[in-house]
Amino acid sequence: MAWNRVAVVGAGLVKFGELFEQSYEQMAAGAFSAAVAHVDKGIEPRQVDAVVVATQRGSLWGQEGIGGNTVPSAIGLSGVACTRVENACPSGSDAFRVGAMMVASGVHDVVLVIGVEKMRDKSAQEGLLARAASGHPIYNRGETAPVLFAPFATRHMHEFGTTPEMLAAVAVKNHHNGCLDPYAHFRNEVTVEQVLESPPVCHPLRLLDCCPQTDGAAAIIITAADHATRFTDKPVFVAGFGVATDHPALHEKSTFVGLPATTEAAKRAYGMSGIGPSDIDMAEVHDCFTITEILDIEDLGFVEKGKGGQATIDGTTSLEGRLPVNTSGGLLAKGHPIGATGVAQLVECTWQLREEAGERQVEIRHGNALQHNVGGRGSGVSVVNILTRNR
Amino acid sequence: MSDPAQGTRPGAGPDEAPPPEERVAHRAQPVALVATGVGLPSCRLRLADLAATWGGSTKGELAVCDADEDTLTLAWAAGTAALRAAGLSPREVDGLWWGTSRPPFAEGPSHSFLATALGLPSTCGGLIASGSPSAGMDALFAAWDAVAASHAGLALVVTSDALVPGTGTATEAATGAGAAAFLIASSGRAAGTNPPPAWITTRATLFMPALDRYRADASPATSDAYDPRLFREEVFVPLVSEVGRRLADPSHPGDALSRAASSVTTSGDGQREAAGQRPDTFGCSIADPDGKLAAGIARRLGGDLVSASSRQAIGDTGAASAFLGALGALSRPGELAVISYGGGRASGIKIEISQPVPGSPEAAAVLGAAGESGRQVTSYTGLLRARGQLDATGDPVAMGVPPGSAAFVRGNEEMLALQGARCRECGTISTPPSVHPTCTGCGGSALETVALGRSGVVETFVVNHTMPSPFQAPLPLVVVDLDGGGRLMLQGSSHDAGALAIGDRVHLVLRRYALERGVAVYGYKALRDGSGMPPGATLAASGASGTA
Repeated sequence: MAWNRVAVVGAGLVKFGELFEQSYEQMAAGAFSAAVAHVDKGIEPRQVDAVVVATQRGSLWGQEGIGGNTVPSAIGLSGVACTRVENACPSGSDAFRVGAMMVASGVHDVVLVIGVEKMRDKSAQEGLLARAASGHPIYNRGETAPVLFAPFATRHMHEFGTTPEMLAAVAVKNHHNGCLDPYAHFRNEVTVEQVLESPPVCHPLRLLDCCPQTDGAAAIIITAADHATRFTDKPVFVAGFGVATDHPALHEKSTFVGLPATTEAAKRAYGMSGIGPSDIDMAEVHDCFTITEILDIEDLGFVEKGKGGQATIDGTTSLEGRLPVNTSGGLLAKGHPIGATGVAQLVECTWQLREEAGERQVEIRHGNALQHNVGGRGSGVSVVNILTRNR
Repeated sequence: MSDPAQGTRPGAGPDEAPPPEERVAHRAQPVALVATGVGLPSCRLRLADLAATWGGSTKGELAVCDADEDTLTLAWAAGTAALRAAGLSPREVDGLWWGTSRPPFAEGPSHSFLATALGLPSTCGGLIASGSPSAGMDALFAAWDAVAASHAGLALVVTSDALVPGTGTATEAATGAGAAAFLIASSGRAAGTNPPPAWITTRATLFMPALDRYRADASPATSDAYDPRLFREEVFVPLVSEVGRRLADPSHPGDALSRAASSVTTSGDGQREAAGQRPDTFGCSIADPDGKLAAGIARRLGGDLVSASSRQAIGDTGAASAFLGALGALSRPGELAVISYGGGRASGIKIEISQPVPGSPEAAAVLGAAGESGRQVTSYTGLLRARGQLDATGDPVAMGVPPGSAAFVRGNEEMLALQGARCRECGTISTPPSVHPTCTGCGGSALETVALGRSGVVETFVVNHTMPSPFQAPLPLVVVDLDGGGRLMLQGSSHDAGALAIGDRVHLVLRRYALERGVAVYGYKALRDGSGMPPGATLAASGASGTA
């Protein structure tokens, strides 16, 4: 049986993009307002008695002072309990998991999970991971973000015959979905040809194989499942979750055709929820690069290992497909403001399960949605959350 | 061959010293030359490209460094090749004597960086000789003294230079880069199972206080401040000729010790000429900054100028010049005079060769191919950029981890010495040790530090087109399964960017990752075997595989 002890009662976000006109604090306030507005039976902001904030790269992008007091002050809740969670690219999804456990423990009644990231204020060159060598000062030099995933593309192509066209199909699909999402950073279609002709970034990945750096914030209000109907008639329950780690460095990987952290996190989430991959109606997965989505849908058990590229070309993961993936546009089109990303994915899952996703609404047959992030230096950590509207 | 040291008299007391003019050359206790190695940079500059900017000769090429090469990386390549040729572990070496006009740190850890990268024990002795191109011979003399005094049994002498000449100077059109290593040993150490292939028997030095090429303390580039006619007639030719004469003529009045020792060296096998006679083969390798003067000196000495071809193919390599020029000739029995020049000082040695010196045939092949196609031709602007003489406007972005930080203190040795942590329980090698207190295979904590292999196979790779400075795109990053176990992810070479494939064999070479505010940062890079890289790089790297 699904865990279902905690429910989402409100979910909202700001439009992602290059938000030069908004500060970190303004984005946070905007996301919180959106989440409060989404609580259909209404909620007083002061009913929130704890905040979990996810910001991943505060120091790298110049917000050295981000901490547990930053967000409550900005959103008018100064005084409330607040904790910052940083867990690489899954920071937002892990903050949600931590918030759910805080509610389930009975210590807090209403928890705000909010992810905020300001990435565009600094130039891409200044923000590149290569400057922040970890573990060792010389090894892994030049390891920009695409380097963390491109070696998997090289190997996946080598072992399974995955093609650049298959990678491009991910970008084409997610850009199409992004066109239907008013919150997406990029809202333009791209063609396979445009992807294949875009400038090489990190062979075998090209520009349109890569997600952008994006400013954004997203917020979710959760409460005990038993109290959820005080706030909404359409609660979405936390069915289960899983977190798993792997060795962080690329040279420590046991495989270059999959991400073991994802596989293990999914196994735990499926086990906790009693929900399997065939019970999922839609998924928001970590498509920081096109190859990542192909790895994800294989590692999550949606398709057979090695078949992710072909499945994408076949439309299995499109809005009308058997298992729509990244209906929001994904990281590729919607954007990847790291701390906000996981929270925003959960916002999309909530909206889809409540059938509020407008033009991109997919058919909900089982009532279950899956959200996934993987990241860290070399996909060293993955988080999977499974939501359900069934109780 | 009997022990050449036996019966020599290296310790003539001060009271017995001959008058100064007769001490130009003297026979010291001989040392065995057991192996050699060469290191050449990966780029070539066509002089026509230089002439397009500054005029001058349009014929010929220079061997020049890529942005990630310098005198230390060349020295590493040569030293590694010599150790491999000798079939010796670096742990057996008692000291490193490194001669280079300009070490990477004017003051600093140049010697310890190179010794660590070569895998030498941290207790080894030696020194850096620098200050002028005579540094190579200075280093050899010092090593010889240490061996003769029994402070060292096995000494690695590395000579290298990768000077940065002033733009538009005459020196610029002559300055190449390269390194040569001589592994020398005491007679006792060299005895072993095989007789030594060659002995270094005689040395000579002569100097005068003349200013020619120089670099002022704050100047990044080498200048020349001399009249070529004056240099030729009053400095270079007289000094080098006199040193050569003393080396070449064993009957020279000042060379009594030499005659005594020669009779010893040849008495055992009866295959050599009687003491005091000139052999059939007498070669001269002469450092030749101007490129035109050595031939006449050699002719007057009655010898063959064996250094002519390498000088023509790679340019003047400063402290390494005379040694690089000698490498090819060490394959042929006979006598060889090796004469260096720099900073007003000529000095030389005589090598008596009885059989090919290990490493010499390989070095000859590298040098023979030095002027042929297959290596990267750089443009003049590319060279200026690599040398730091042409920079983008604005402050460079710092690397992120200061080279003087604790992270470097923790991580430098394991990087330069290329170490892993092997699990005593499951055998997994985790790299690097400083970030793996437990095994990545089983989680165990019983780990031992091991030297990693320096070659392997590409498991997967990328070619990064968006490298942040100071790195230059496109640059491969390669996950390498190392021979002997362990895996690393390392930068590759941009020269390989178009050809790299999974399953390719690669070898690891020491390169300069960055030069940040004058501080050199070194690490290994993975180069594809036989992929248009200079043979020298391939030889040097395969040489390191024996240390795993």
